[in-house]
Amino acid sequence: MNAVPRNASTAQSVRFINVGKSYGNVRAVSGINITIAPGQFVTLLGPSGCGKSTTLNMIAGLEMPTEGQILIGDRDVTTVKPADRDIAMVFQSYALYPHLTLYENIAFPMRARRRRSPEPEVDNKVRTAARMLGLDGMLSRYPREISGGQRQRVALGRAMVRTPTVYLLDEPLSNLDQQLRVQMRSELKDLHQRLGATMLYVTHDQSEAMTLSDLIVVMSAGRIEQVGTPRDLYDRPANLFVARFLGEPGMNILNGESKSGSLVGKGFSLPLPATVGVPAEQLSIGIRPENIEHDPSENAPIKGIVRTVEFLGSRSLVRIDVGDALVSAFLPATVQLSAGGAVGLRPSDPAKVRFFDTQTGLSV
Amino acid sequence: MKTGTRNGLLLLGCLLAALVALGPIVWAFSTSLKPTNRIFQVPPELIPSVSTLDHYARLISEGVHRAFLNSGLYAFLAVAVALVLGTVAGYSLARYPIPGKQLVLVLFVGAMAVPGFAVLLPTQLLFVNMGLYNTYVALPLLYAGHILPFAVWVTRSHFNTIPRELEQAAQIDGYSRFEAVWKVVLPGAKPALLAAATFGFLHSWNDYVTATTMVDTPGLRTLPVALIFFQGFHGRDWGALMAGVIIATIPPVVMFLLFRKYLIGGFADGSVKG
Repeated sequence: MNAVPRNASTAQSVRFINVGKSYGNVRAVSGINITIAPGQFVTLLGPSGCGKSTTLNMIAGLEMPTEGQILIGDRDVTTVKPADRDIAMVFQSYALYPHLTLYENIAFPMRARRRRSPEPEVDNKVRTAARMLGLDGMLSRYPREISGGQRQRVALGRAMVRTPTVYLLDEPLSNLDQQLRVQMRSELKDLHQRLGATMLYVTHDQSEAMTLSDLIVVMSAGRIEQVGTPRDLYDRPANLFVARFLGEPGMNILNGESKSGSLVGKGFSLPLPATVGVPAEQLSIGIRPENIEHDPSENAPIKGIVRTVEFLGSRSLVRIDVGDALVSAFLPATVQLSAGGAVGLRPSDPAKVRFFDTQTGLSV
Repeated sequence: MKTGTRNGLLLLGCLLAALVALGPIVWAFSTSLKPTNRIFQVPPELIPSVSTLDHYARLISEGVHRAFLNSGLYAFLAVAVALVLGTVAGYSLARYPIPGKQLVLVLFVGAMAVPGFAVLLPTQLLFVNMGLYNTYVALPLLYAGHILPFAVWVTRSHFNTIPRELEQAAQIDGYSRFEAVWKVVLPGAKPALLAAATFGFLHSWNDYVTATTMVDTPGLRTLPVALIFFQGFHGRDWGALMAGVIIATIPPVVMFLLFRKYLIGGFADGSVKG
């Protein structure tokens, strides 16, 4: 694919230095420090209202930070207008221009006065992008005449025809149906690898974040909770929020007290490994649903009452009341359990059990 | 009721409505082509057996074409001024967090509710004092003032329906805010702009009272004012009057035929969006 534009040479780093944004007395985001290397695919992940779109809009220049600095490459763009930042953005709503054909939509950025390209070059790039995205043959149509998936591709095409320093993608898959979303997700990953571009992606969908990203920034209530690779975040969550937020279902959390080398709580008693210091008496234990196994013995370290059993084929998702907590576990479908019955459980790999300070929520 | 019967009744209703709407225009056209001595003949003829263009020639000889051009010029200038100002104001009210903008909107809507007659004489006095009375500026300025609140109201409502992301996308694509509005927002607001333009044009074109109050010189008169002079003290020149009516009807009809697709949408937008 010689015609594919490669952005690796133009890909730039992005740095947030102590960035914050307030609306009057309301702090939308604060203390944002992130460094994104050129060519990285970074996802801002968090629940609705956590400030991830505000953060993205600040890179785009659509919102001005009230504190801190944003650098693209070595250039401070904190107060630079969107048009002068040399970035491309794909919006959640795609933001296609309804009065322009698909060709004109994709060509639009190349016809801006401040970076106008010669028409033969525009034509070449538009057709190349359309071919890459499977849009050739429909360039004379209008956005209202094509499907949601095709619109999403046009929006990507509009971003691709330029060689921007950074691509910003604001939940671009959220309006697609499940099947199309999975397809577009892998196309997006493929596109990132081919373009070698710096991409910053916003989503509340953790499976998108996990599958696409080199680095995930988990946000909550306007702050960064943790930055790391998908595996880091999943295996070693820095705090209770990340532990609960990542995973479907999230990590099981049981609260207990440390007593003579064990963590004891309602319905469980688990030995504390020597590697875990005991900075606090109140500790929480975190176990992923897939790291729990059935323990039929009398001395099972976790005991509870089965609430529901969801048969998933090779395994079942079992919800168990353990003391005040509801524990989820993926157990082999061969384990016969029924709602209301008592069940014993144990961690399948003690090394994968995480411990948190209950008061601060931080990993210990 | 059977569908066939219902459709038949609907068709009959539509035909009656069309007859009521078109009848006077057809009769006026017929009258404008009849020689003066055959206008009141009994039985009347819808299609004249003898036709003439004398009445149209008389309009020209009396300088009515000048009034026709004046009407067009005033309406055009008024619409241009009102649309430019109305678009800027409508966009600002739709997009910027202006303090007290609700009050501004209420004032605009309130201005539409004030009957023109109530302020006509004070306005005339004002224009006399300002040296604008009986000038080419007087009527376009006043008409623009009449149209402006409607233009602001309709354009603001329409801008509210255009997603902000479109402008933001254009800005990221390398366009300034003004360019983004020009290239993306205004084409999207075409129905609202054409609705406001048509309303404004018809308002200005049809006006008689303001025109007769604000200008006096024959060279500055508008078409409705010029035509009234064919309605003499002792009798009316029906042929010339009807010819004038037909000429006066042409621009609004052409305008409506050209823009009717947008007009219906534009007025509907204005009527249901706050």
